[in-house]
Amino acid sequence: MRAWKAVLLINLALVIGVGWGYVFWGLRATGLERDLAVARAAALTGVERQWVVEGVVRAIFPQLGVLVLTHGDIPGFMPAMTMGFRAASPKIQEAVSVGDAVRFTLRGVPPNVAVTTIEKIK
Amino acid sequence: MQHAGHIRHRDGRRRRRREKLHGARVGACRHDSPEKNGRQNGEQGRDPEHAEHSIEESPSTQRRFTIRYTTRVYALGLSARWIHLASSILLVGASAMIVMAGRSDRPTARRWEDRVLAGARGLALLALASGLVVLAVQTALFEGRAGAALDRHAIARVLLETQAGHVWLVRFGFLAILATFLWLRLSVDRRADWRAARGEALLLGVAALVPLAAAGHAAAVEPGTARAIAFDGLHVIAAGVWVGGLLPLALLLRTAATENGADARPHAVLAARRFSRVALGVILLLAVTGALLAITHVGSVAGLVGTSYGRLLLVKLGLLVGILAFAAVNRSVLLARLAGDGPTVGRPTMRRLSGFVAAEAALALTILAVVSALSVTPPARHEAPVWPFGIRLSLAALEGAPVEATRALIGSQVGVLGLAALVAGTVVRAWRLPLVAGALVGLGAGAGLALPPLAIDAYPTTYLRPSVPYQAASIAAGATLYRETCMRCHGGTGAGDGPQGRGLPRLPADLRAPHTAQHTAGDLFWWITNGIPAAGMPGFGTQFTEDQRWELINFLRALSSGYAARGMGSVVEPDRRWLVAPDFTFSVGPTPARTLKEFRGRNVLLVLYALPGSRPRMSQLAEREGTLATLGVEVIAVPIDADPDAIRRLGAEPRVLFPVVTEGAEAIVTAYRLFAASPHAELLIDRQGYVRAIAKSRGEAAELDALLAQIQQLNDEKAPAQAAPEEHVH
Repeated sequence: MRAWKAVLLINLALVIGVGWGYVFWGLRATGLERDLAVARAAALTGVERQWVVEGVVRAIFPQLGVLVLTHGDIPGFMPAMTMGFRAASPKIQEAVSVGDAVRFTLRGVPPNVAVTTIEKIK
Repeated sequence: MQHAGHIRHRDGRRRRRREKLHGARVGACRHDSPEKNGRQNGEQGRDPEHAEHSIEESPSTQRRFTIRYTTRVYALGLSARWIHLASSILLVGASAMIVMAGRSDRPTARRWEDRVLAGARGLALLALASGLVVLAVQTALFEGRAGAALDRHAIARVLLETQAGHVWLVRFGFLAILATFLWLRLSVDRRADWRAARGEALLLGVAALVPLAAAGHAAAVEPGTARAIAFDGLHVIAAGVWVGGLLPLALLLRTAATENGADARPHAVLAARRFSRVALGVILLLAVTGALLAITHVGSVAGLVGTSYGRLLLVKLGLLVGILAFAAVNRSVLLARLAGDGPTVGRPTMRRLSGFVAAEAALALTILAVVSALSVTPPARHEAPVWPFGIRLSLAALEGAPVEATRALIGSQVGVLGLAALVAGTVVRAWRLPLVAGALVGLGAGAGLALPPLAIDAYPTTYLRPSVPYQAASIAAGATLYRETCMRCHGGTGAGDGPQGRGLPRLPADLRAPHTAQHTAGDLFWWITNGIPAAGMPGFGTQFTEDQRWELINFLRALSSGYAARGMGSVVEPDRRWLVAPDFTFSVGPTPARTLKEFRGRNVLLVLYALPGSRPRMSQLAEREGTLATLGVEVIAVPIDADPDAIRRLGAEPRVLFPVVTEGAEAIVTAYRLFAASPHAELLIDRQGYVRAIAKSRGEAAELDALLAQIQQLNDEKAPAQAAPEEHVH
């Protein structure tokens, strides 16, 4: 065989090998990422979920039935922040006062969630 | 340049082992251990080295054994790396030299080509074999036990789960293909075939060499990893073509200089000229990429002279000067003498040229040994430099010294004149001697005039980087140490007026004075550690731990910053960022801790308040919180008394919705009251983390529009290119 033909074949094999490897791994990685995103989205929609979170009562709006809570991370729903939550019953707002450190249960189909139980901690 | 994966500082276990090994000068590179991916649990707490070798030995024999074992591994690994690097580079050079010399039909030239190719075959085998040893040693270091070198599971883990392993696989594949290719008996009688075959060998050699860059220190550079790897890749290619080409060239010249080799002389002269031309460009490329890599890995003069990496680099540069001297003689004297028609060219000159080129090659191989050592030494940037001199040179010495400044200015001008004369001397032939003599005088005089005023006292720790970040907690810890120990001489405010300071040979320094570049944090560290004997200051190196000394230095920085900030008012000065807001950690009730740093990119109004005085102002801020949030400012309120029940005390009306710190308040108050000690203080911190305005009051309600205007002013500023403030004192 002529040397230049052999060289051409070797280079072709190299390019195909490297390209195939790259495409194979690259596709697999993006495919996995897509699956993950789909799985995450499926986990979040349309299903009733429940979390137990700790926080501090910052304000109470009795007429609205709303508690403002500074809370920790709510996995898969929202990061730590201060925001208002609907209280499932008036008893819940009456049980606590501003400044209380609390552990509360949040239940519902996101984003429609409400505080269903609450207890002071410490 | 070649070595294992990414630097990871976070993995505590890895780091502990590294430090232990470091005592024996091994494990100098930080590895990304495959253990991280899962098998840590089984091994936790069991040190593999000791478990294997010294279950019942006394601590001292244990230590000796460990060191001996690791030193041996180190030596073995280093030699293997050297042989591997050298053979990989020589492979590229051999092919490159053949391509550069071109095809010749003279018998002696053909013989030379065959001999070089035979050598290349041997080199390919050597590279493969030494590559296996490098891999085995690497595995042993990863796993921390000698037995792992031959454990195929351990080796598989290194190969499949580390970046260094992936690179090794790629390179080994290319080397194997290259070796096979070199062994193929291809007919190269036609020009096209010759070109294809020799070019392919060069291509495969380069492909096997370049990925080294992705497994070396360059791969651990963050940010700018890709750029560093690209520079490193160019650097090794250039080294391959130049350094690797020297030996085959020397062989060609020597063969041609023999009596029987006369027929190859024109070919040899042509090859030498071509190589010389290519080498010039390649050396320039080496210099540029080398300089950029040095800046990346070393970055400072202190790193160059004060760390083992920097000193190895200096050795490398010294050897390089030797090579360049040979190269200059070869190019300008010997090569010029080879001009003229082939067969008549003088054999002695050619023989001498061959000898000089061989000497260059020998020096270059020594450089490769140094490079192998560099590849297992942590880059200077990650090490604490030990400054070896008693003085350092800095422009900061000229601050407030007009006479010295003038002197330095004149000196620098004289020096520039000298430099100009030197340039002229190299260009103008006629006046060379007087010009160069004048240049040397000018440079010497300039240095003599300009440099002495720039000298500042320096200590081994001068360029040490603080190991404790500049944060409220460490400032508060430093404040406690200060009160307990330093206050009696330096005074309650740091003015140097403590009761016990009066009898000292020199009055204690005013610690509130601005800390200019004249005192590095490392200088302070030295003084606190060893004292200042002449002034009567004792050393506290035994009393305080290293971290405590850095905490004290953080406190001193905050103290002097606070003193400098006493004039800062409630109005933002446009584009003047200098007062770094120390980072702090806080939490609101049982919620997870947050840091000030998380708020980067937004403005923060840090409110230090005390009830009942601050109540009117707090009510006002609470009511207008919506407006403040809309303007892009986050309020963080800190009770000065650090009351854990602060939120309840503020009450239900008006509703306070911004964070009120209930944990971490003490440290924040201690640190930030150095900046503002009033009963109620509001510090406006900009998006980059600098304190820009300080409003001191008694907490009474005030016009909020003034504050809103300041916030808007900050919003209107363009985000500066300037980096966020350093987390460490400098």
